[in-house]
Order: sequence, then structure tokens, then C-alpha cells
Amino acid sequence: MSLAATYRLGARLFWRDKPMLFASVVTPVGLSIGMPLLMRHVRADGPAAAAEMFPATLAIVLAITAFMNITVALTGRRDQLVLKRLRATELTDGQILAGQISSNATQTFLVIVACAVAVFLAAGVAPPPNVLVVALVVAAGSAVMALLGAAYTAAVPRAELAAAYTMPVFLVAGVSAGAMGPIPLPSWLRPALDLLPTSVVVDAVRTGEPLRAALVLAGWAVAGLVALRLWFRWEPRRS
Amino acid sequence: MTTTIAVNGLRKSHQGFEAVRDISFEVAEGEVFALLGRNGAGKTTTVEVLAGFQRADAGEVRVLGLDPHTGRAALRRSTGIMLQEAGFFPDLTVAATVDIWRGFIAAPRPRAEVLELAGLTGRADVRVRQLSGGERRRLDLALALLGRPRVLFLDEPTTGMDPEARAATWDVVRGLAAEGVTILLTTHYLEEAQRLADSMAIMDAGRIVAAGGMAETLAGRAGRVSFLLPAHVDPGELPLPVAVEDGRAVCRADDPDLAAQTLLTWAAGRGLRLAGLEVRQATLEDLFLDLGGDAELSPAGGDR
Repeated sequence: MSLAATYRLGARLFWRDKPMLFASVVTPVGLSIGMPLLMRHVRADGPAAAAEMFPATLAIVLAITAFMNITVALTGRRDQLVLKRLRATELTDGQILAGQISSNATQTFLVIVACAVAVFLAAGVAPPPNVLVVALVVAAGSAVMALLGAAYTAAVPRAELAAAYTMPVFLVAGVSAGAMGPIPLPSWLRPALDLLPTSVVVDAVRTGEPLRAALVLAGWAVAGLVALRLWFRWEPRRS
Repeated sequence: MTTTIAVNGLRKSHQGFEAVRDISFEVAEGEVFALLGRNGAGKTTTVEVLAGFQRADAGEVRVLGLDPHTGRAALRRSTGIMLQEAGFFPDLTVAATVDIWRGFIAAPRPRAEVLELAGLTGRADVRVRQLSGGERRRLDLALALLGRPRVLFLDEPTTGMDPEARAATWDVVRGLAAEGVTILLTTHYLEEAQRLADSMAIMDAGRIVAAGGMAETLAGRAGRVSFLLPAHVDPGELPLPVAVEDGRAVCRADDPDLAAQTLLTWAAGRGLRLAGLEVRQATLEDLFLDLGGDAELSPAGGDR
């Protein structure tokens, strides 16, 4: 019952914070729909290029709508002592975090589904084979990225720095998925980048093959939970 | 009587600074207990340990028989906490905030009831960011009361309130105490401790410097009347005992208004004028002077 309450709170705050929505929803959605659309119209191999580009943009949505959004939200609430106030209620620590993570993951998943429908209609990008299985991978990827974003708050010293601190994650996720165009990367780096949670989701959407993604995401989930358990801070650091 | 809160030999340090140094006290069921002290005395640290936010370094702490740190989840069902500082969601209205918090509690009071208790009925549709500091304190109180707690921790509950709101909050605290709620409050207002508390302890620099009867006696001398001692008047002639400080006669009294009246009547009978008459409630600083303590004793800084 209380988990439902924190879930609803998370969803409400997600859609209510207008300036944040611009950064965490409008921008990635614009890229996720705009880039395939652009490919469709400017490239000679339009439909194929659009179909190649769309899955890559999902890395951006995952890095921003899930990861950055939850990092900014949780560091802000930590530093304003809202998390502390929540802990003064009957809620357990687990309910507070699980509610936030699951609501953020749901919003991310909905945003991705909306993007997929839009590019299908506007750019003719067909859904992958096993669409339901792939949808499950996307949902799991959203949850893992939200979980990792929550754990990442431990590394962010102050709320003002939260968005800036997530930039490297956004860049690495985007570049390694190919969402930022063909950037040459050293070959020894490739295997590591292919193990990013965003990369395995992109790969599953491209191929319709969920197994590898499921295994890698499970590993990241364990890492995220352990980090959360060990390092999550509920209150700002005392200077 | 049952002991609801028991603290025995509590110590707590933050980064090498000893905020609480070996304090002990007990609060009986249904009692209002005031922890009186200046900023930095260790009051907030004590409350945070009692509320389970921090773990004690040494000593034993029990609330309703449970260790507040390990038994936090169980304790939350019967405790309410008004933190000294904690944030709200600034864009939500008062009503929305209360409704959301009701979802966090198994058997919450109705929204209208807590808003009424906290005196916020007319402010239900106002966004939290538009509330005054005192109104935020009252919203804090409203949230602390939502779960009908048996034990209530109030950390400086009336700081930032105007006199009217303060009096209203005192009424609420008295009402809850009358229903049998055990209340531990911290304050730096002598008057607040004196009016509300059944018993009190005075903290300074992490220690309890006066408790029980002694603290009450000290706090009881809360009033202060002073005036320029008229020429040719010997302090011994005055109807009340006074101390002379820099040519001013200073009289300590439980009821400073009554003392001032007595002195004025006496002066009028002699055709004297009491120049520079000042009547005020004593502050905690006065009390520390009484204690013979050094007013600069405790380190400056936040109340951590």
C-alpha cells in the first residue's frame, strides 16, 4: 500500500516538474523521433537508415529520462531534506526508493513506447520481431537505468551538480550505441561498451534477441542494488 | 508510571566533534519533557538518535522499549516527528501535501482534522512555497500528527512562529498531552519549556547541566524587572529583593508583571519615579548567567 503511495508520488512529481520535463522528456523524445525521421528523408537508403538509427536513440532516452532524471530528482530531494522527511513516516527505506525507481522506470518505458509508435507512423520503422519480448527487455532496461541513477546519487556531492555529473553517462551511452553518428572507437574498447545496460537494450531491439540483454541487465541490477545498499546517502553531507 | 523514553549514557560524535556527551534522562508515559538549550547544545542530535535517524556511539536508548535505530520501522507506527528542518515539495499545495502523506500512514487522521489541529484550515489551497516560515512549521506539525502518534518528538516546534501561532501550537501540545501522548520537545525559549513541560533538562555543550527540580527552579525565575535605582534609595528599602548591576536594580521573579506593579506602587507611595523601567521574560542566556556558566561556553555553529 505504501509502495503504491511512493510510486504515485514519483509519477506525479515526474510530470509536474515542467522545466525538468523539457530536459528529461522533450529533448530525448525529440532526438528519438527526429533522428530516424531525418535519416528517412536525407539518406538514399532512407528506410534502412531510419531503422538502424531508432534503436540507437533509445540509449539516449534511457540515459536521460531514466538515469539523469532520477539522479537529479533524488539528489535534489536529498539536499532539501525531503528524503529525510519521508523517512520520518511509516515508509521503509526500501519503499521510498523502490517507489521512486519503479515510477521513473514506468515513465521511461511509456516514453519509449510512444517514440516507437511515432517512428513507426512517421518514419516507417517496423517493430522488431518478438515485439513483446523486446518490450520486456526495454522495461527491464528502464528499471535498471533508474536503479543505477539512484545509486549514482552517492557520487554527486551537491544537487546543483547532478545534471552535469550525468553527462559522461549520457555521452558514453549515446556514443557506444551509435546514436551520435559513426564515431570511430578503439577496438579494444568495444567489448566493454557492448556490456553497458543501454547497449544491450539497443542490441535486443535491433536483433529481437533478448537473452544476452537479460543476463547483462541482471548483472547491472545486482551491482546497482549493492551500490545502493552500501553508499546511498539520505541526507546531504555535513560540511 | 511506565517509562516511554529512556536514555542512559548517550554519546554521539560527528566527525570528531562530540555533540552529545554522556546524557541520561527518562520520560514517563503521557509526560511532556523539554530539552532546553542554546544552538549547538546537542538537542537536535539527541532527538535524531531518539527518532532513529542516527545511531548512538555509546549508551542505551529506548523508545517504547525498542532501540530506535534497529526498531525504526516498528516505532514509526507509534511515533510522530517534527524535524527542525526538512523540506517539502514547494509546488504542492498544503492539502495535496497532507493527502500524499496520508498515503504513507496505515491509519491516518482525516485531512480536515489535522489542518484544523495545525491551524491551517484556511490555507489548504496555498502552495507550500507561498507559506510563511511559521506556517511551514505548522504544516510540519500537521504531518507529525497524521498517524495519531503515542510518542511525539518536536524539535524546536515554534521557531519562526508569531506569538499567536506559538500560543496556538502550545494549545495543541497541551491537548495532545491531555490525551496521553508522550511528548519530547526541544526549545531555546525558557517560557515555552516552562509553560508546556512537566519536567525538563537543560543542555549545554552536549551535557545536561541541570535537570528535574533544579532546572524547573532556574526556569521558574523567568521574569526580570529592572530600573535605574533612584538616588538616595538603598536597595534594602525596596519591597522585593534586587541585585544592583551598573546602577540598575534588577529583580528576578516568576511573574515579572506582578513584580513591576509591586515596585511601582511602592515608588508611587514615596513619590519616586522608576526611570528606565524594563519588564521582560528572561532568556536562556540569563539562565546560563544564573548557572554561573560562561555564556561563551558552547561552540558556535549549527545545532547538530
